[in-house]
Amino acid sequence: MGIDLQLSEEQELIGTTANEFFEKQCPPKLVREYESGSPEFPEALWREMAGLGWLGMPFPERYGGLELAMLDMVPLYVELGRHLVPCPVLDTVALAGSLVYALGSDEQKKTLLPGIARGDSTIASAIMEPDGGYGPEAIQVRATRNGSGFLLNGTKVLVACAHSAGRLVCAARTATGVDEHGISLFLVDPRAPGATIERTPNIAGYPLYAIGFENVSVAEDAVLGEVDAAWPALYGTSMKAAVLQSAMVVGAGERLLAMTTDYAREREQFGKPIGKYQAVQYLCTDIAIHCHQTRLLTLQAAWRIDSGRPFLRESALAKASASRAAGAMTFAAHEVHAGVAFVTDYDLQLYTRRAKHWEYNLGDLRYHLDRACAESGL
Amino acid sequence: MVDLCADDTPELRAWRREVRDFLQEALPEPWTFWYDYDENPESWERYLAFWRKVGKKRWTALTWPAEYYGLGRPAIEKWILEEEFVNHDVPTYPVIGMHVSGYLLRHGTHEQRLKHLKGIADATVLWGEGYSEPGAGSDLAGLTTKAHRDGDEWVINGQKTLGTAAHFCQWMSVLARTDPDAPRHAGISCFLVPLDAPGVEMLPLDNMADGRQNMTYFDDVRVPADSLLGDENQAWTQIWFGMGGDRLDNAGPSLGPHSMRIVPLLNRVIRYCTRTSRGGRRLADDPVVRQQLGELMMGVEAIRLQACEMHGIAQSGRPSRFGEASMHMHQAVFKEFWPHLAQVCMEIVGPMAQIQGGRWAQLNGDIEHYFRASFGNHAGGTSQLKRMVLATRGLDLPR
Ligand SMILES: Cc1cc2nc3c(=O)[nH]c(=O)nc-3n(C[C@H](O)[C@H](O)[C@H](O)COP(=O)(O)OP(=O)(O)OC[C@H]3O[C@@H](n4cnc5c(N)ncnc54)[C@H](O)[C@@H]3O)c2cc1C
Repeated sequence: MGIDLQLSEEQELIGTTANEFFEKQCPPKLVREYESGSPEFPEALWREMAGLGWLGMPFPERYGGLELAMLDMVPLYVELGRHLVPCPVLDTVALAGSLVYALGSDEQKKTLLPGIARGDSTIASAIMEPDGGYGPEAIQVRATRNGSGFLLNGTKVLVACAHSAGRLVCAARTATGVDEHGISLFLVDPRAPGATIERTPNIAGYPLYAIGFENVSVAEDAVLGEVDAAWPALYGTSMKAAVLQSAMVVGAGERLLAMTTDYAREREQFGKPIGKYQAVQYLCTDIAIHCHQTRLLTLQAAWRIDSGRPFLRESALAKASASRAAGAMTFAAHEVHAGVAFVTDYDLQLYTRRAKHWEYNLGDLRYHLDRACAESGL
Repeated sequence: MVDLCADDTPELRAWRREVRDFLQEALPEPWTFWYDYDENPESWERYLAFWRKVGKKRWTALTWPAEYYGLGRPAIEKWILEEEFVNHDVPTYPVIGMHVSGYLLRHGTHEQRLKHLKGIADATVLWGEGYSEPGAGSDLAGLTTKAHRDGDEWVINGQKTLGTAAHFCQWMSVLARTDPDAPRHAGISCFLVPLDAPGVEMLPLDNMADGRQNMTYFDDVRVPADSLLGDENQAWTQIWFGMGGDRLDNAGPSLGPHSMRIVPLLNRVIRYCTRTSRGGRRLADDPVVRQQLGELMMGVEAIRLQACEMHGIAQSGRPSRFGEASMHMHQAVFKEFWPHLAQVCMEIVGPMAQIQGGRWAQLNGDIEHYFRASFGNHAGGTSQLKRMVLATRGLDLPR
């Protein structure tokens, strides 16, 4: 990536292709249909995305993927955000699948990744717990030795599309404590005896679940990577996924900006388009600024990952910016639209509610500001 | 295409080292000087001596063509040079009015370039900027300083305000109305005026950050016909309106790295937080301070990237997202962030930040000074105006 922070033509093409595709295949009507609905996500759309190679982007060819770089994926995720695509691409591919790819054995990868890339199966990640923290101290589900395997006890929350997932990638403590050591990842069947799965209604209308584990037995070969030592990979992979989540916020922001400036040009009050009023203009520039800054921070983080540079500080700054932008952009858009946007028939609220989920997902503003300090040596 | 990390070749890395070595030799001790915020004569003497050294190397004219005293080097080298200057806490050009070099290279005649660019390249001749007037700030096109032709001369009458460092300058670029009957924007021209010409008078406007702007009066000031820069009545499009983007091209000094002074400043505050304890706890371990530092890092990083983007776009010529208004977005963000940064740094340092010098001063009193200086963020136009341009030209909202 050059100093002008522009994507290459090939990378732009991924974005324009995806934009045209979702424009046709994922209108707001479809987004609304899958709000709190069942099945969890539109399977036909999922399969088409798989056919386009979008579900195997980060994985190498031998696992059915395309082995693309972050900067190739960013434009796709921008479009996933712009069109509010109601599918767990981020959850299954960028997080759960990427954890399998980062830590799994060849056997585990062969079993799971090609199925994801082909669109045949999904996996979900079960990381967060009811205390709502993002760091290693928040992981308190216990995994105790049981013969050659383990018994899981505890609760995970905000697990996306868990009902249809073939496996959960579940983070648990194999050694008591609050620090990074002692965290392990397990592949768990969400339908295993002792697992309860409870759908939690939520602001984004997204299929999010609370999952209880009561003496859920997992075999030894269900461990991803080394016992006790999963945190660094879990953290690194989450930070990469956070960059793609930021890209989704950028896409949503671009749509919010377009919706809001269109409205400001058309809507007239006191005999003039409201876009003539500076108070309205400033709100529109707020959206543009938040969106653009998040875009640049996102591109920088992706570029650092691709070029093998340290990226944790820059990823934290990108997601911090995205988390703040998510709130600030929807606020400004609502200010400009006023009453009409409070009506559910109007599409703006679809963005407002999902933006809130994305603001939290993979770390909120506070968490990432603190990480930015930590990754700067503070 | 140079990578986002500018040091992607051994040549560029060597160039950065060369600049760094020069700076270490020319400014052996840590030294902060900003021409807008300093009136100490010794500091100015030292500053100007420093710039004459830079001028001797012609790094002042790094990217200009050789024909006009330049070195003809690629713009990325200028970017690196400016980054290093900023990291050493000195401005990237001697005074703001040196922007005139860009206008000369673009719109000047061959004779004007030969006459004026050498002094700018040597950093021996300083230029002030005579645009704003008491009645014409944001609404610059409302300016009333007039110039009329009298034989082989132009005669200038009027008053300019807030001229930064003009009292150290020998010349000034002056915007004046040359066609009183034309529409406001269409009757303005730009003149190159020696400040020792009869009829020029200057009064100080001491500023709240220890520097000085000036009120400059022009009373029947006569300059030769060839003092007109660019075309008659075309200064609005050629000179002024160019300012947004012109500062970034090969010719003029760039605003990007200038705004990046915030990078070393924040780094100093971060270091301070690792070394300073309050209530038995390092500031760097205080969760509130960490949130504040994280937020400042985010702002600084975003502005740094916007500066990179602006620089890159000016070089590659690729269309930018908000067209010509991209620069205005960058400036609006920086102008708003700067006082915010100063305010938050004052909050972090706490009540001791008020002390300006002596053994009890924190960070040498520099944060307090920086706080006062941050209200000079309106130089070159206010953030409100920049946002207005972004809204109407970048976002296509009605005017
Ligand atoms: C440190 C410093 C150095 C400077 N150096 C120079 C120099 O060297 N040469 C030079 O020529 N000038 C210089 N200036 C002047 C500078 O360009 C002006 O201050 C600037 O353009 C703003 O003009 P003003 O101060 O008259 O404010 P005004 O134009 O009076 O603005 C006052 C307020 O009204 C707002 N406002 C005005 N018009 C509008 C509008 N249409 N819509 C919304 N809001 C509006 C502004 O945003 C601001 O908030 C300098 C200024 C400073 C602070």
